[in-house]
Amino acid sequence: MSDTNHGHEPARIRPKTSLLILDERTRKRNQSEARFRFYGLLAVSAGLLALIVLVTSILNSGLSSFRQTFVTLEVSLPADKLDKKGNRDPADLRKVSTFGYAPLIAAAVAEAMVRHGIEIDGLSDKEAGAIVSKEAPAQLRDHVLANPQVLDSSQTFTFLTNGRIDGYYKGRVSAVSAGRDKNVSVAQLVLADALLAAGVLENRFNWSFFTNPDASDQRPEAAGLGVAIIGSAYMMVIVLALALPIGVAASIYLEEFAANNRLTDLIEVNIANLAAVPSIVFGILGLAIFINFAGLPQSAPIVGGLVLTLMTLPTIIIATRAALKAVPPSIRQAALGVGASKMQSVFHHVLPLAAPGILTGTIIGLARALGETAPFLLIGMVAFVREYPAAPPDGFFDPASALPVQVFNWTQRSDPAFVERASGAIIVLLVFLVLMNALAVFLRSRFERRW
Amino acid sequence: MNDMRLAERALTTGDIKISASNVDVYYGDTHAIRSVDVGIPAKTVTSFIGPSGCGKSTFLRCINRMNDSIDSARMTGTILLDGEDIYDPKVDPVQLRAKVGMVFQKPNPFPKSIYDNVAYGPRIHGLAGNRADLDVIVEKSLRRAALWDEVKDRLSAPGTGLSGGQQQRLCIARAIATEPEVLLMDEPCSALDPIATAQVEDLIDDLRSRYSVVIVTHSMQQAARVSQKTAFFHLGHLVEFGDTSHIFTNPSDERTESYITGRIG
Repeated sequence: MSDTNHGHEPARIRPKTSLLILDERTRKRNQSEARFRFYGLLAVSAGLLALIVLVTSILNSGLSSFRQTFVTLEVSLPADKLDKKGNRDPADLRKVSTFGYAPLIAAAVAEAMVRHGIEIDGLSDKEAGAIVSKEAPAQLRDHVLANPQVLDSSQTFTFLTNGRIDGYYKGRVSAVSAGRDKNVSVAQLVLADALLAAGVLENRFNWSFFTNPDASDQRPEAAGLGVAIIGSAYMMVIVLALALPIGVAASIYLEEFAANNRLTDLIEVNIANLAAVPSIVFGILGLAIFINFAGLPQSAPIVGGLVLTLMTLPTIIIATRAALKAVPPSIRQAALGVGASKMQSVFHHVLPLAAPGILTGTIIGLARALGETAPFLLIGMVAFVREYPAAPPDGFFDPASALPVQVFNWTQRSDPAFVERASGAIIVLLVFLVLMNALAVFLRSRFERRW
Repeated sequence: MNDMRLAERALTTGDIKISASNVDVYYGDTHAIRSVDVGIPAKTVTSFIGPSGCGKSTFLRCINRMNDSIDSARMTGTILLDGEDIYDPKVDPVQLRAKVGMVFQKPNPFPKSIYDNVAYGPRIHGLAGNRADLDVIVEKSLRRAALWDEVKDRLSAPGTGLSGGQQQRLCIARAIATEPEVLLMDEPCSALDPIATAQVEDLIDDLRSRYSVVIVTHSMQQAARVSQKTAFFHLGHLVEFGDTSHIFTNPSDERTESYITGRIG
């Protein structure tokens, strides 16, 4: 075919040119390459910029949630008010509600003001007492119920301050905004400053953000991630325990044992499709199957874990099959050649070689499951949960929250202090995700074999 | 080619170890092997030669049923090993492969230590009662594969870290560690340099005293050097089978002559 032109003159003779002068075509090609590089750089910079803006804005608004303003008060616990019958009977002690304890805190604040010689015009005792969190009376009551012997003595307690006072030290509340806010007065801010100077108030790291359960709208300062972290951890345990063995077993069967026919093709296509199904659909499925049909409790980690397992399985199966495919067939042949059975060749040789890939896929699937919110909205996991779930396995059936749901929940609250809480929860969630992804990268680089 | 050596080569053919009759193999619609009849003698090196795609590797893989794992492969006819039909439904291919070992074209050691590579077969077949027995088997196999002196100080080093020739000898050691009766070699030297090839060829000659060796090779010189019997395959047919000296000096079939003189293939 190429011979047909033989003997004819070529259509165009290449002119004689110097190598030192760029011809038109080369110049254009170089230009377009330079343009392409510039676009690439632009895209990468835009991505980096977005990441930086995102991270700084989250850190900016969220880091403050890890610090909190505390007040240390000497509270006297008069028995005639808290135990009117005087018999220390727990049932009788329980009859005094938190309303009975609130005046003691107000008195303690007043006493501290007197001790440190603080006098502020136009500040009522009730207002002075209100700089302490509404959580404080409950904390006091719990302590007394647990230790009735402290009655009729004075004890030192560290309470959270009210969210507005805390916000004053985080720049959320100022004298100007306090003038417009009926929840806080300028006099209270003056009192807080005086107490801070006297060392009664302090601003320090707040461990209870990680351990406390959620708190109501009225007391953002007491809200914590304890229940959400436990709930998320329980669900991860369930997902790992169910999705890893089922997913790996299914992949090994499909990849190594199943015949290559239409049925397996169909299964393969459907697994790929399932991986792309929106997570809220899995939520509906979970609601229909696990709650309505199987009768499992709402808002429980077991249901969340099962839904996340369904959602994670396709990811794990796809990753595992890819890892198994990447093991060269020569290894399987070598094993079969020395008389290993199919199962021995898979479990002795193929699976160990595929393990890093399988683990990486599993961790990435888990990380995705950890950040999932939508399915929980449908299985009732958005409930306000203040009780810690029990230890597993019973705890799997207790109501719990989850980290992303807690973020979702807090962003809907009216008090501006919850913005900070939600950002703090996002930071915690991101730290977990980064740790999991780092583990995946580490496993891959550490154990991956090359041929 | 050393014609002197060919001429004086004494044949040690005794019993027929593997006897194939009327073997046909299909890959889907492709008819890869066409009614092959052959009797491979015991304690002899038999080489299969022929142009690419002539079916010699396919036939080799029939002898230990490695083709079973290919979905589209279909085989008819009978292959007897010591008079027993290896395609009988009662035969478990795993048991067959313990008797018929295989060495592949590309060295494929397991990504494990040298020791574990050799010890794997004996372990899964329960040939060693304890660690000391296993040590003996590993040493014996590596010695027979002429690899012991090179690796005895680093048995725990990964098998994949050896040179290509060493890897192939490791694979041979692995194959003979299970004490097979037949050793199949599918172009064992095609990935090796001339020095490593010479070492493996010497080894094959040594192995003849204990095993029936069947070797597929693209190199006619190699076939002439190592084998006593040669089978020439062409387009799925077994064209000619006979003593190596006869095939290379005085082939009866025209196609064989064309191939060994370089006119086809």
